[in-house]
Amino acid sequence: MPAKKKQYTIDMAVTVVSLALGCVIVFPVVYCILGAFKTRVEFGSYPPTFFPESFANLDNFQEALDKTPLLRFMLNSLIVALMGTTVRMAFSILAAYAFAFLEFKGKNFLFFFILATMMLPGDTLTITNYLTVSKMNLLDTYLGMCITSFVGASQMFMLRQNFRTIPRALRDASFLDGCGDLRFLWSVVLPMAKPVILTLSVQSFINLWNAYLWPLLVTNKEQMRTVQVGITMLTSAASTNYHLILAAVTLTLIPSFIMFVILRRNIVKGMTAGALVG
Amino acid sequence: MRRRLLAWILAAAMVLLAGCGGGGDETTKAPGADQETTAAQSGTETTAAAAGQTDRGPQKIVVWHSMTDDAGILMDQFVKDFNEGPGKDLQIEVEAVFQGSYSDSSTKLRTILQNEQYDQLPDVIQIDATGIVDYKNCEYAFTVDDALKSDAGYDMGQFMNAPLKAWNFGNIQYGMPFPASTTVMYYNKTVLDNAQVMEAPTTFEEITAAAAQLPATNADGVELIAYAQIPNTPTLANWIGQLPGAGAEASYVVNNRNGRDGNATELVCDKDGTLEEFLTQWKSMYDAGAVKNLGSGLSDMFFAGQMVFFTTSTSNLNTLLTTIDGRFELGCSFYPRINASANYGATISGASLCMFNTGDDAKASAAWDFVKYLCSAEVQAKLSMGTGYFAVNNGAMDLPEYQQFLEDYPQYSVGIEQVEKTSEDMAGVTVGPSRDFYLTIQDMITMMLEDNMSVEDTLEEMSGALNDLLDQYNRSNQ
Repeated sequence: MPAKKKQYTIDMAVTVVSLALGCVIVFPVVYCILGAFKTRVEFGSYPPTFFPESFANLDNFQEALDKTPLLRFMLNSLIVALMGTTVRMAFSILAAYAFAFLEFKGKNFLFFFILATMMLPGDTLTITNYLTVSKMNLLDTYLGMCITSFVGASQMFMLRQNFRTIPRALRDASFLDGCGDLRFLWSVVLPMAKPVILTLSVQSFINLWNAYLWPLLVTNKEQMRTVQVGITMLTSAASTNYHLILAAVTLTLIPSFIMFVILRRNIVKGMTAGALVG
Repeated sequence: MRRRLLAWILAAAMVLLAGCGGGGDETTKAPGADQETTAAQSGTETTAAAAGQTDRGPQKIVVWHSMTDDAGILMDQFVKDFNEGPGKDLQIEVEAVFQGSYSDSSTKLRTILQNEQYDQLPDVIQIDATGIVDYKNCEYAFTVDDALKSDAGYDMGQFMNAPLKAWNFGNIQYGMPFPASTTVMYYNKTVLDNAQVMEAPTTFEEITAAAAQLPATNADGVELIAYAQIPNTPTLANWIGQLPGAGAEASYVVNNRNGRDGNATELVCDKDGTLEEFLTQWKSMYDAGAVKNLGSGLSDMFFAGQMVFFTTSTSNLNTLLTTIDGRFELGCSFYPRINASANYGATISGASLCMFNTGDDAKASAAWDFVKYLCSAEVQAKLSMGTGYFAVNNGAMDLPEYQQFLEDYPQYSVGIEQVEKTSEDMAGVTVGPSRDFYLTIQDMITMMLEDNMSVEDTLEEMSGALNDLLDQYNRSNQ
C-alpha cells in the first residue's frame, strides 16, 4: 500500500512539473496569438494587458496582408519546405538503410564522414554555397532555395539508429520469402519506423519554413520571397510593430499547427521511440 | 543485389533532382536574360551617358532597398510613380526589391563581392553605416562624384549640407542621403506642464533641475523617471561633437575626424578633456537621480507615461504620434547638450543610395536618374510627411502642402531646425571594431555609475580599453 501511495505522489509531482513546463513553453505562442488582436495603443498601455480588448479586431491581419504579399510568401515557403523535406527524407531513408543493413567497404568511414558534416556550422558554408548555387544558375529558383537542405546528416543518423533496432532476422526472413532490399525497406522498415520518419519530417518542415538568411540571399525577386522575409518587412526602423508582427506570425504558424495536429499521435510515439533508442 | 540497389538509388536521385529542376526553371528566366538584352540594346549607345538624355535606349534597373512598414509602402509608391511618369519619358524601368534589413542587405552585398559575382550586383543599393565600408572598397562603385562628371549641370546646392556630408568620405560623395534622420529629444509635455516646467531643458543641468520639480510617481502611481539612457558610440559622438574643438567647431571621439578622413587609430576625446567633461556632467546628472542607467524598453516606458524625456531618432515621430494617440501631449526639442557652452546638434543617421557601374555606362546613368528622382523636393516631402525622416532637399520647403504639414505638426520642424544648426564639422564615429566599441563604452559608464567609480578612474579605464580595441583591430587588419 505505501508503495502504491509513493507511486501516486511521484506521478502527481511529475504531472505538475510537466504541466508547469508545458505552460512555460506554450505561453509565448498563446501571447503571440492574443497579441495579434491588440491595437498598437494597447501594447503601449500601462499596466500591460494579457487579453486583447476585443477578439473582433482583425485590423492587424488585414494590415499585415495589405502591407506585404504574405499569402504569396506563404505559398513559396510551403513549396520550399515541402520539396526540401521530401527530398531530404528520401535521401536520409535510403542512406540510413544502407548504413543499418548493408555491409560494404568503407561503411564506417562514410558514416562518420557524413556525421562530421554536422560539426560544421551552417554559416561558414553560406558563401561557398552561394557561389555554387549561383554558378548552377539556380538563383531565384525554388530548387536553389532548398538544394542545400537536400541532404541532412542528423536525419540520416536518427533514422539509422532507429533502423538498427529492427532485428536482422526479420530481413533474413523477408529475403527467404523473396523480398529484395527495396521491397523490404518499403513494406517492413518504413511502416515500423513511421513515427520517427514523421517526427523528423515535421521537424525538418518547420526548420525550412523558418529559414531566413539563405532564401533571402538566393532570391532577388519579390515574388520568390519566403514568409520570414515578409515578417521583416513589417518591422520599421522606428519601432518593432508588435501588433503587425504578431498578426503575421500567427498566420505563419497555421501550417505548422495543422501539420502538428494531423501528425500529433505519431509525433508522441516518435518521441518515446526515440527516447528508448537514444 | 548490392549493385541493383545502387542503381535504384541513383535512378531515384536523378528522377527527384530532375523533377525539382523542372519546377524551378519556370521561375528562372528573368534576371540574367533581361540584363543581357538591355545591355545589348544599349551597347552601341554607351556614349550617351549624360543623365537626362533619352537617346541611350530603354533601360531596366534594379534597386535594392531596406525600407519597411510605412516607408516600404511609400518606396513602392515612388517606384510606381517613377515608372509611370518620368521613367516612361526617360525609358527607364525600375524594379525595386526589398532585401531585408540594412544588415541583411549588406551581408548579401558582401557575399556577392567576395564571390566576385558582379553580374548579381544591383544598379542602386540602399546602404546604412554598416555597409558603407564594403561599398567604398568595391571597384564597381559608381559614386555621386562619378555621376556628376557627366551631369555637371546638376545642382548639389539644393540639398542640406549635413546629410550630404554624412556620406562623404575623404572628400568623395559616395551616396545620396535617403532617408535621413537625426536624434532629438521628445518629452511628455502634459507631465512637464503639470509640474510647472514651462520650457524644455536644453542641457544636462537643466534636465536635472526639471527632474527635481517632477512628482515621484505618475498618474498610475508608478515611479516616474525623468530620463534614461546608457551612452554608446553614436550618443557619445553627439555629446563630444557638440563641444567646440581646436581648429574645428566640433570635437571628436577618435582621430582622423572620427575615422572619416582615414582609419581611426586612437582615442582623442580622452586627451582634450571632452570625455572628462562628459563623464563629469553625466555622473552628476545620475547622482542627482535625473537619469537612470537603462538601455532598453525606453520607448515603452515613454509611451506608458513612466519616463518624461526620451532621446530618439526623428524617424520615430509617426510611430510616437500614433502610439501615444493623444493620451498626453508630445513635445519635441533639440538634443540636450553637455553644458551651456556646447553647440546644439546631433549627427545624421539613416541610409544612402549608392550606385554601381559594372561596365554599362548607359545603365549607370539611368540609375543616377532614378536616384535624382528620389532626392527631388516632391518625393522628399512625401517621404517626410509619411514617416518623420526629414526632407533633405531644400526645395521641399517651397511646396505648399509641406509648409501646411509642418504648421500642423510642429514636432516635425524640430529635427530640420536642429540639422540647420548642426556644425558641418560634426561627424558620426566610424571604427573597425564597431560592436565592441559600442559595448565597451556602455560597460565603462555603467561601472562608473553603479560601482560609483571616480571620473578620473573611469577616464583612464575607458581610454585604455577603447585604445586596445582599436590597436587590436588595426594590427589584425593591416
